[in-house]
Amino acid sequence: MGEYQSRQLDGVFNALCDPTRRAILARLTDADARVTEIAADFPISLNSISKHIRMLERAGLLRRSIVGRDHVLTLNAGPLADAQAWIEKYRRFWEGRLDALEAYVMKKNSTGKRKRK
Amino acid sequence: MNAAVTNNLASAAVVVRRTIAASAEDLFDAWLDPEALAQWMRPGTIISTVARVEPRVGGNYEITMQSQSGPIVTKGVYRHIERPKRLVFTWISGPAENQETLVTVDFVRLDKRTEVIVTHEQLPESAMPSHRNGWTSGLEHLDEACQKGLIG
Repeated sequence: MGEYQSRQLDGVFNALCDPTRRAILARLTDADARVTEIAADFPISLNSISKHIRMLERAGLLRRSIVGRDHVLTLNAGPLADAQAWIEKYRRFWEGRLDALEAYVMKKNSTGKRKRK
Repeated sequence: MNAAVTNNLASAAVVVRRTIAASAEDLFDAWLDPEALAQWMRPGTIISTVARVEPRVGGNYEITMQSQSGPIVTKGVYRHIERPKRLVFTWISGPAENQETLVTVDFVRLDKRTEVIVTHEQLPESAMPSHRNGWTSGLEHLDEACQKGLIG
């Protein structure tokens, strides 16, 4: 289970480290959209857009529903929120710990020097 | 955790760096000394910290941070100890996230100072609440991280 979730997170990061894919997601934060509408917003081929969309789907970041002849895309922010929450939590934690480590070592060294005098 | 899995996860990591005016030895030792850990492994909300360490490869450590709402126990195993260059240990912080994650600490000498680089990898098992709000600012942070080459 852990490995599955880690792989999923990996897919999320790969999917997000591309400006076009981030732009597609940003577009979907406002409202759901059809694939053809998304394609019209970007100056690249429908084929390229489809590849980006498939990658986002595999990462679980968007869902596709077929309504008549239209493929409608919906944002699924869950995986990103999980990844983001974990990263933010530990970024803050380690920033704080390194501040404290610095303070600890500096204090220890200055005390040590005074003792040697 | 085998190497293949580690490589697989290499792109999902938190990297925090700090350059400190101290020797690599002094900084390295502060990670394996229980008295030192008790002092600096104590975030603002924590009343007191007690650390227990077996400073050898395969040895265990346990850091108990006492908070208002009870103890937060983090434990793991030392995977690599190379004084004063690199320290690698697993990190399991419960009960919220009982999955093993991996912390690598590199100590890089820069003249009289030392750069300490903490890399924390892998996702905890706990399912965190998902929100659509605040989503766009999350994207911006990720963009920054991608550009810095921290992830992706």
